[in-house]
Amino acid sequence: MNIQYKKGVLELCVLSLLKKHDCYGYEISEYLSKHIDIADGTVYPILRKLRSEGLLTTYMQEESGGPPRKYYSITKLGLEVYEKERAEYLDFARKIEFLLEDDDNDKK
Amino acid sequence: MTKNEFLSKLAIELKKKNLADADEIITEYEQHFAFKMADGYSEEEIAARLGNPLEIAAQFGNAGAEEKSGGRKAAAITGLFIIDIFAGAFFLLLMAWEVIMAAFSVCSAAIAVCLFGNMRPWSLIPNMPYLPALVFGLSLIALSVLTATGCIYFAAFVRQLMRSYGRFHKNTIAAASGDAVLPSLGIVPRFPPGTYRRIRSVALFSLVLFVTCFIIGMVISMIMSGSFEFWHAWGWFGYCPGN
Repeated sequence: MNIQYKKGVLELCVLSLLKKHDCYGYEISEYLSKHIDIADGTVYPILRKLRSEGLLTTYMQEESGGPPRKYYSITKLGLEVYEKERAEYLDFARKIEFLLEDDDNDKK
Repeated sequence: MTKNEFLSKLAIELKKKNLADADEIITEYEQHFAFKMADGYSEEEIAARLGNPLEIAAQFGNAGAEEKSGGRKAAAITGLFIIDIFAGAFFLLLMAWEVIMAAFSVCSAAIAVCLFGNMRPWSLIPNMPYLPALVFGLSLIALSVLTATGCIYFAAFVRQLMRSYGRFHKNTIAAASGDAVLPSLGIVPRFPPGTYRRIRSVALFSLVLFVTCFIIGMVISMIMSGSFEFWHAWGWFGYCPGN
């Protein structure tokens, strides 16, 4: 699948994961690459962008036997943006699905 | 590509872009290697799955560096200040209305209590037999509840309006200074669905009770006084029949 399709919605996927619970970067990277076929390295630029936009905040947490991990947490603004864009995306996806399936039926 | 090759290539590219938080980014990738290696992957495999360091570096935008546009910000603040004066006056007006409604509600309740208790403080409440007084009292209680409900809804409305304006205020300044902008807020207050339904049914019930009791009170008064204009018969407003 074209990488350009995916990039736009990856941010949405990150926000949806962080809405459930705070995660450290590697966790997010693993979660996304488990479901979507992307290079592991693409997640970190997205996290940094979302953070600079104020949708995420970070905090460090000490872990037993290892360096402190940087956790990402969704902000109030992030939640608002997520809910709004999620609705927009789902609506958009439904319409596209309708159009494409319509096309499929014409051929039969 | 080994871990060190990958990280140094990434570091060189990030330095070229002159990012303030390049070290923090490198640390994140270092940790990624550490986690993956703990899972048993080789450095080469991990680097391959991460992607090309050149492409990764290109994805880090210049988001950390902020550009200050002082002139636009000052203009926005001046403009906002002028709008604030009008908006402030408008909000004061709305709040004054809120106070009037609240006072009206309290007065209705107070008069109802006087009617129930057959009290005539400072002869402010006109004379009438106890039965119509009771019915009018009930009607006033309903009116008091109705206006109190109105007060609650109106207060929520004004609050939401002010929050919405506050958000607009904040966003305008943020946009002028190039900061992150929050989504705008609607002006219609949002209640939990249960609360909204309760407010509506209380308002409806009190409205119906007010109108019904008021009409019944009028009818009873007319019958008891034997006159359509019972207020004349009972000598209200300083007017006594026969004078």
